[in-house]
Amino acid sequence: MSTATTPVIETGGLSKRYGRTTALADCTLHVPAGRIVGLVGPNGAGKSTLLGLTCGVIAPTTGSIEVLGNRPGGSAAQLAKVGFVAQDAPVYRTLSVGDHLRLGARLNPRWDQPLAERRVKRLGLDPAQKASGLSGGQRAQLALTVAAAKRAELLILDEPVAALDPLARHAFLRDLLDFVAELGVSVVLSSHLLGDLEQVCDHLIVLAAGRVQLAGDVDDLLAVHHRVAGTLPTGVERIHEDVVRSDAVLPGAQPIDLEDLGMAYMTRAAVASIGGAA
Amino acid sequence: MIWLTWRQFRTQALVAAAALTAIAIYLVYLGSRIRDDYAGVLGCQPSDCVIARHTFDESYTGPLTVVGLLLIAVPAVIGIFWGAPLITRELEERTDRLVWNQSVTRTRWLTTKLVLLTLASAAVTGLFSLLLTWSASRYDQFIGDRFGAVSFASRNVVPLGYAAFAFVLGTVIGLVARRTLVAMALTLAVFAVVQLLVPTVLREHLMAPVTTTVAFDEDAMSRSDTLGINDHGATIMGYAMAGTWSLTDDAKVLNADGTPYTLQQAKACEKSSQVENMACMAGQNLHFSYTYQPASRYWPFQLIELSAYLGVTLLLTAFGFWWIRHRSS
Repeated sequence: MSTATTPVIETGGLSKRYGRTTALADCTLHVPAGRIVGLVGPNGAGKSTLLGLTCGVIAPTTGSIEVLGNRPGGSAAQLAKVGFVAQDAPVYRTLSVGDHLRLGARLNPRWDQPLAERRVKRLGLDPAQKASGLSGGQRAQLALTVAAAKRAELLILDEPVAALDPLARHAFLRDLLDFVAELGVSVVLSSHLLGDLEQVCDHLIVLAAGRVQLAGDVDDLLAVHHRVAGTLPTGVERIHEDVVRSDAVLPGAQPIDLEDLGMAYMTRAAVASIGGAA
Repeated sequence: MIWLTWRQFRTQALVAAAALTAIAIYLVYLGSRIRDDYAGVLGCQPSDCVIARHTFDESYTGPLTVVGLLLIAVPAVIGIFWGAPLITRELEERTDRLVWNQSVTRTRWLTTKLVLLTLASAAVTGLFSLLLTWSASRYDQFIGDRFGAVSFASRNVVPLGYAAFAFVLGTVIGLVARRTLVAMALTLAVFAVVQLLVPTVLREHLMAPVTTTVAFDEDAMSRSDTLGINDHGATIMGYAMAGTWSLTDDAKVLNADGTPYTLQQAKACEKSSQVENMACMAGQNLHFSYTYQPASRYWPFQLIELSAYLGVTLLLTAFGFWWIRHRSS
């Protein structure tokens, strides 16, 4: 049984290899409950692998992972607690919007039909419309509706806005914030652009080259990262160019925004991997 | 899960129902014609009976063979179009990510799909077999070769086993191959090889054959194709005892003491007519050896073959569950 204090995701030395390719290496994370987690990293960083491991569609090669206190995807009860929308929001092309709600109702014990109907109505989707005729944004909304009305404790959204135009992105994220507040679920959403997630997430995980580069609550991360020009005092770690990490207050240091912070870590990882290859 | 299985399957179910209806109408028509003609053959004048039997044979051997082959093809079609895409279509459209993340485990998803669709496959093939068995029953009694490769595989209960096997085979190949076209091609290849090997190589070994000695007489000659005599002796070819499955293509004709029947002996029986020749030879107390599966083994063979196919189907199913739990992630 998961409680408010059970971490949403807890991993230790988690790795996934496909043959000789390592998709994710030595990933150790602790994500507390009630967060909206932004998972950011360049393409091929291992984001989808980590999310797949979290909902149990992928099995780890080594290491441990617990989601809401249990093995991911191990039982129907665990599946009921985690809602997942895969990349590109797959839906059944030949089924209608209404069929998708029926699918959700038949396959989920905690299904919230009023919530599903309310969302479909507010989004202006026609229940008789076949999913093949929906726009990318509508499809994403339909998949999110099915995942949300499942009344899971954790919602995992893999690149939910990648296929949407800027206007639809904004609407999707605002809508997401609204119902996250309404349902009180924890959310993990990934993107290769931190700019997409900046306004919504309060916990950040930066993934690059299959490894966790940075993880923590956004407020904590912003408190210990600064911009400093010139030479550094001892005990201060330089991340990339003028971005530094220091628990102590530095004289003359400027605050940094989340997008630049994420970029600094991703750039450092990219430079290191080029250096390693050379 | 039952609702979803039906919702995803209903188009195929309607197509199958329509095809089955068309076949049923034809088979009822064919069956009643066969019954009418059979009544005519039974009531034939002695002088016309050979011709009547021949005409009956000529009229129905063709259509019944074609329908029999069609019935043998049905499980292949089911394996290719119902089994193979069952999982690959989900993987290719990425809907596995949607459906396997509802509050239903993959094991339960696969159980429901396999049980319902195997039943549907067996029902379609079983109804077809029932209709054909009824339609052809007079022909099978009168002319038919019940152990023949086509008629054995297209009557009674064995088609049920083929259908269950083909569907599960297609599904499991799809689960492993993950690509619809590859899975369809492999399903066809594997199923075709199995369906060729079973009647030509395996079936005759289901029970140890019986070998007996048959007296060479007019009756034996009428049940064979030809008798060849040369310097090395005489050979009877294509003999088949009524209702049995002959495993003897040709056999040496022997004297009572086991020595080969010779050309000299045959010459001694050259009379003025064929009938007299035959009567003379029959009087020489000749025999030959005959290896076969008795007619009484028809039902044991049907049941053994059905059980074997269902057994392999269960093994494939167990493998499929193991794979979806441990390897499909």
